[in-house]
Amino acid sequence: MAAVVTPVLTAGIGEADLRDIAIYRGRGGYKQWERAVRELKPADIQAACDASGLRGRGGAGFPTGKKWSFLPNNGKPRYLVCNCDEAEPGTFKDHMLLEETPHLVLEGILLGAYAINSHHAFIYIRGEFKAGYAIFMAALDEARKAGLVGKDLFGTGYDLEVTVHRGAGAYICGEETGLLNSLEGKRGEPRLKPPFPAVEGLYGAPTVVNNVETLAYLVPILEKGPEWYAAVGTERSKGYKIVSISGHVNKPGNYEIALGTTVNELIQIAGGMREGRKLVAVQPGGGSSACIFEEHFDYPYDYENIAKAGSMLGSGAFLAFDETTDFVAAAHNMVRFFAHESCGQCTPCREGGHWLETVLRRFVEGRGLMSDLDMMRRVSSTITGLNLCALGDSIEPFLKSVLNRFPAQFEARVLKETSNV
Amino acid sequence: MSDAPLVTVTIDGVAVQVPKGTLLVEAAKQIKQEIPVYCYHTKLGPAGLCRICLVEIEGMPKLQIACNTACTDGMVVHTQNDKVDTGRSMVVELFLVNHPLDCPICDKGGECDLQDYAMAYGRGASDSVDGKTSKPKGVDLGPTIVLDEERCVVCQRCVRFDDIIADESQLVLKDRGYKDMIATATGQPYHHNFTGNVTELCPVGALTSKAYRFKSRPWDLARTQTTCTQCPVGCQTFVDTRFGGVQRVMSVESDDAISDGWLCDRGRYNTGFYASRERVTQPLYKKDGAFVQIGWDDAFALWAKAVKAGESGAVGGGRLTNEEAYLLQHVFRAAGVANVDWRAGSQRVATPFGRNGSYTDLENAKLVLIVGETPAERAPVMDLRVKKAARKGARVVAISTAADAAAALQGATAVALIWDGVNGALANGVYDAVAIANPYVYIASEQPNARGAEAMGVLPEGSAKTFDAMLAGGVQSLSLFGVNPVLNHPDGVAVADALAKIPFVVVSDLFLTETAQLATLVLPAKGAFEKSGTTIDLVGDLLPVNQSLDAPEGTLSDFEMLIGLAQHLEVDLPTSESLERAVVEAAAKAGLSSLDSGRFAPDARDDMARKPTLLFAGGGTAAHDERIAALRPVEPSGPTGSDEEVAVEA
Repeated sequence: MAAVVTPVLTAGIGEADLRDIAIYRGRGGYKQWERAVRELKPADIQAACDASGLRGRGGAGFPTGKKWSFLPNNGKPRYLVCNCDEAEPGTFKDHMLLEETPHLVLEGILLGAYAINSHHAFIYIRGEFKAGYAIFMAALDEARKAGLVGKDLFGTGYDLEVTVHRGAGAYICGEETGLLNSLEGKRGEPRLKPPFPAVEGLYGAPTVVNNVETLAYLVPILEKGPEWYAAVGTERSKGYKIVSISGHVNKPGNYEIALGTTVNELIQIAGGMREGRKLVAVQPGGGSSACIFEEHFDYPYDYENIAKAGSMLGSGAFLAFDETTDFVAAAHNMVRFFAHESCGQCTPCREGGHWLETVLRRFVEGRGLMSDLDMMRRVSSTITGLNLCALGDSIEPFLKSVLNRFPAQFEARVLKETSNV
Repeated sequence: MSDAPLVTVTIDGVAVQVPKGTLLVEAAKQIKQEIPVYCYHTKLGPAGLCRICLVEIEGMPKLQIACNTACTDGMVVHTQNDKVDTGRSMVVELFLVNHPLDCPICDKGGECDLQDYAMAYGRGASDSVDGKTSKPKGVDLGPTIVLDEERCVVCQRCVRFDDIIADESQLVLKDRGYKDMIATATGQPYHHNFTGNVTELCPVGALTSKAYRFKSRPWDLARTQTTCTQCPVGCQTFVDTRFGGVQRVMSVESDDAISDGWLCDRGRYNTGFYASRERVTQPLYKKDGAFVQIGWDDAFALWAKAVKAGESGAVGGGRLTNEEAYLLQHVFRAAGVANVDWRAGSQRVATPFGRNGSYTDLENAKLVLIVGETPAERAPVMDLRVKKAARKGARVVAISTAADAAAALQGATAVALIWDGVNGALANGVYDAVAIANPYVYIASEQPNARGAEAMGVLPEGSAKTFDAMLAGGVQSLSLFGVNPVLNHPDGVAVADALAKIPFVVVSDLFLTETAQLATLVLPAKGAFEKSGTTIDLVGDLLPVNQSLDAPEGTLSDFEMLIGLAQHLEVDLPTSESLERAVVEAAAKAGLSSLDSGRFAPDARDDMARKPTLLFAGGGTAAHDERIAALRPVEPSGPTGSDEEVAVEA
């Protein structure tokens, strides 16, 4: 596959003011929404979604249509919640979509809500996205005035309201049940599962939480057909993905690519490594993912191959590291983030993250102990899998991968024995 | 749950049949296999926070938490293997990374789940070489509780208790991550009727009782199980004593049929009065307007002489044991004194004459009607059942007229009526209106053993006088046992005036109460922890009262006083066997009270505006307990502020 960028969601960004509803509609915007309400049944959208092979773009990569299918018909209202609490280190795609093409985000939300026969959708926007919030509010206002949101849409009798909620800056509120608690006005702490949100989610009702990018892809999938979307990608990783490339590349930024583009090609797309330096590691799926190395750089960037390389595609945050990287500092930075963002509910994440951060800080200061290396390996691997939510399981991967790959960097920070004599 | 089909799970090789959906942690109890828990609690449900209850379930790659895993048929579980031990050991190690390990000075030391599980699963050494995080110690959380943040394991049992059981939602988790701290949401002191329970729920030494802090190690305490007699609920408690004093009062078990595992702060903390220096420890005789100390022989002689001198009366029983109450009416009646009554306040009746329900019936009610006093004040732990009923969907309605009752009863099933036993509800027709629904009736009495006193027959029969009639005139001597009507009667001033006109007034009490000060003869009594006997709770259970303290020298129990009086009156006493039999028989008939007994003669004072009876932290013994003084509610202010709080004797 060639190293090419294929703007789908990103089409028009930087060329036209997509925040303007007239311009968005001029480019075919809201046509799919109108068609869905007038002509399609929720099941049709679900079928299209299934056929497209669309998987959740928030990190877990769960098939979107399948997630929708878990909702029971128990007489309670159903809610669609769009997760725009994008806070995974290295990820900045939803931020861009929200600010640059808010109507596309909204149309995706509307389609997702219709697909699960919901009459009330929510979008949870990260607190720091102040500009994005204002832009989205303006877009929602325009859409409401245009009769695209509200009661009796297109005269069909179908009602759909959209509520916008701003977070207050906690990473954990991006975890879907933490988000639901926060949305309900409670402490942003993940819930104990079961029950799962599909059964008992927002206000105890069946709820689907979908990522911004996932929902936005519903628009082109309906427009061009699921076959068009499924035509690209690899066997089980279909379609397109926005990759947030950052790190030691010449042109960091968001690049929309077909899944299966190789790791090396992604580096090329981002302008290659800066100053002709050498790529030594890539963190392919955000702060929660393990690094992949040289032997994996020709792997296709898709869910299966990145997993095969020992990591995960996650939210598509692609961090490139060159040979000048201080991986001790990087590991400390990453672990510090998770320790700081731990909600503190469950023991392994609360205590383990803080302990590892404390030890890594000593390494950064050149005061590590040889015994700490074993302790870090033991503690980080043992706490993985013991936690209430995925945050605690995110502490280990990056640390372990760089600790095993670059042990010399860590050993060099071990306190030199000094003589008291 | 009991209707659920049975499933078979295999735990450590043993097949167990449990209803489908039973949590693994509960199923394991059936084979006596303890699974360690911090955050899980039977009454609070799973929270999934501490992660110590890890088990291996075949077919699942990761260790699972037993507290939130429902049993399914064919599940094969291992609670004891290397993988499980490694996980639990990790969790214990993490708890200890920042734990201060100040066990030698920790109140919980010796009965601490962190100590126990560290012994069972800990590694014995730590890889941590860094300093521990420091957090506030000795945080004054409110009048009863001191918090040590460093010892906290963030299980949130206290937060969940406050939210789910007490329905107060005062406690919250503050901050985030390793900085997590327990605090009140508003920053105001943690203060309600049930705060002490968090010290028992706390699996470590983070939440401690101010009253018990640094007082003792648990293994040095002597433990006595008894019935709490601070109110008529009848909670079973452990009284832990050392050095001849009460160190603490603890709940008995989490599924106690009466208390449901909870205690109120009054029952738990109002114990300081036993050691009060203000206790009366020698009979006092009023000579020329001043009390002089006299011996017991003289006291009995003076008392017996007064009883025989003319028309007499005896009042009390609701604060006595059944045996004492029985003896009270026996001795006085045998001496020809028919005027006996336990009702020294506004309450007219203590035994429900509708359906006698259990506390479980109350918790399962669909409609709870409250007439008169607030149950939270009169019978705090029963109020938790009302809250539990509400949590299960019951409506709770306070009513004061027959019309209110009729409106509330529309379409109602499973009705419970909580009533203060005051005539008003009868006079206003409220009771008749509710009776149609055949409710379970719960009478929250002013006096803890009012129902026992009633059962033992401390009630005027035929033409005998009620307490109010005794006050009205003609009585030459009046003996009052453990009652303080000058303080608690709706018209205390009138009581004081009437007592002043009676030539010889005897008061048996622990303190020189408002009433005792007006007495001719004051008899120093023993308190509930200082004697044994039985009591009857408000739902009719006959319960033991067991002695846990030695009484101060010079005091006698009312039982001993009545025997002394009987000897001076030359009255026959029942043998201890026949007394025991009489009490059991009377208690068995306690539910058979009826409306026709003529006990409800209109009470002129019933119509007067009654002042609230703040039993919870009011007067009585609480007035003689410095520690409990902090629990007193703030005096209401505003236009009605002139109304003084009237507290019943405690």
